[in-house]
Amino acid sequence: MARGADGGDGARVWQHVFLLPEYLKDASKKMKSGLVFVKLANPCSGEGAIYLINMCLPQLFEIKVFKEKNHSWFINESVQSGGLLHFATPVDPLFLLLHYLIKADKEGKFQPLDQVVMDDMFPDCILLLKLPELEKLLRHVTEEKEVDKKKYYKYSKEKTLKWLEKKVNQTMAALKTSKVNVSARVQSTSFFAGGQVSSDKDEDYVCYAHGLISDYIPKQLSDDLSKYLKLPEPPASVRNPPSKKAKLSDEPVNAKEDYTKFNSKDFKTVKKNSKMTAAQKALAKVDKSGMKSIDSFFGAKHVKKK
Amino acid sequence: MENSYEETIDKRRVHLRPDTLRDPAPASLHLLPCEVPVNRPTPVGRFFTPAIRLGSDGLEASFRGRSLRGEEVVVPPGFVGYVMTEEKAEVLVAKQDDHEPEEQELEEPPEALERDCDRFMGATASFSSFTVWGLESIPGPDAKLRGALSWPSLAAAIHAQVPED
Repeated sequence: MARGADGGDGARVWQHVFLLPEYLKDASKKMKSGLVFVKLANPCSGEGAIYLINMCLPQLFEIKVFKEKNHSWFINESVQSGGLLHFATPVDPLFLLLHYLIKADKEGKFQPLDQVVMDDMFPDCILLLKLPELEKLLRHVTEEKEVDKKKYYKYSKEKTLKWLEKKVNQTMAALKTSKVNVSARVQSTSFFAGGQVSSDKDEDYVCYAHGLISDYIPKQLSDDLSKYLKLPEPPASVRNPPSKKAKLSDEPVNAKEDYTKFNSKDFKTVKKNSKMTAAQKALAKVDKSGMKSIDSFFGAKHVKKK
Repeated sequence: MENSYEETIDKRRVHLRPDTLRDPAPASLHLLPCEVPVNRPTPVGRFFTPAIRLGSDGLEASFRGRSLRGEEVVVPPGFVGYVMTEEKAEVLVAKQDDHEPEEQELEEPPEALERDCDRFMGATASFSSFTVWGLESIPGPDAKLRGALSWPSLAAAIHAQVPED
């Protein structure tokens, strides 16, 4: 991709289009510096991802990028290729800390936090230790000991699962209020019958919320969580084709993939039916189909750069 | 030892200058349904904007002879849109920041937000809405962009602190 490599000309710069929380604007009045983009380990994949840290509050945001093929921006009197839209949304630092706590747990002992949160690949992880109320946060997922006024922590799977269950419930509630459609079956019928978005079953919401949370925790923990929540196995018929991987680990997380399949199919149905009445349109607007995991919100996976 | 460690950290950071977020000039943004593979000044106000009409089904315009349909999209509540660019070297010198890079690589175009040396960004413009364009029809309710714009409210719920037992 051409990126204005012909430098020199000041106007030919790469312009990034961002959506930032409004309160950063207000906070910025009091600070000279302290907003930093850093690369940290993504707690799900372990690969690098961009985060924004506000060292003044302090506060952590993740950067998600909306990226779809064949888009560009006109920004005032200029053109910007790519058509990327960056979102900075608050992230619970506990997910990122959990990544390190689980890693350190292999040693199976109580350790001070600054020995746990260490990373050669992403040294900026030490900034996480400056976030406020860490001790309070860590109580959700660790056992702790205090020796000579110094705190030592050990990962507790039991506590973590309890904490994650609360997260799933919290997310479910939000899905219900924002009327995100979590069931593909309901979606297509509601489209044609002009009906019921609200008939989604609770079970669908749990699976959907579990899928969203799973984007912030390692795969193994996600599997454990689905067992803990007693999530149903996806019906065999939709495992299509049943990959070897799916057989090896009986994981309801496959629901994620199944949703995609459903949705891409329904998406085509919707497309064909381009003549919509105003009422259908209004209905379809509520329907946020095609969203199951976080990536589905952004068209493509994070741009990964080594 | 200590020093080289510190240096490594700094090399991965991009600083966003808070003062630039305060009052950048409003910008007009259009998201086009095609890839223009360059970044450069272009006479949008001469060719594109004057051709925009309000049709029965939203906004109408054309680009390279193709008909576009569009509509205004507001940024999610509680958010502000910013256009950000990398700062130039001379601005850098004027700043008193502890993490100034030694290398003068700032003339290079940014690959992404991540580079091997410390860098600085600032907002050059802000926006509260933009126009999204589709080829011949308005991007429908299923458009990925709509899903993305609904993300912040869901993210808030996922990442809110849970009550302790």
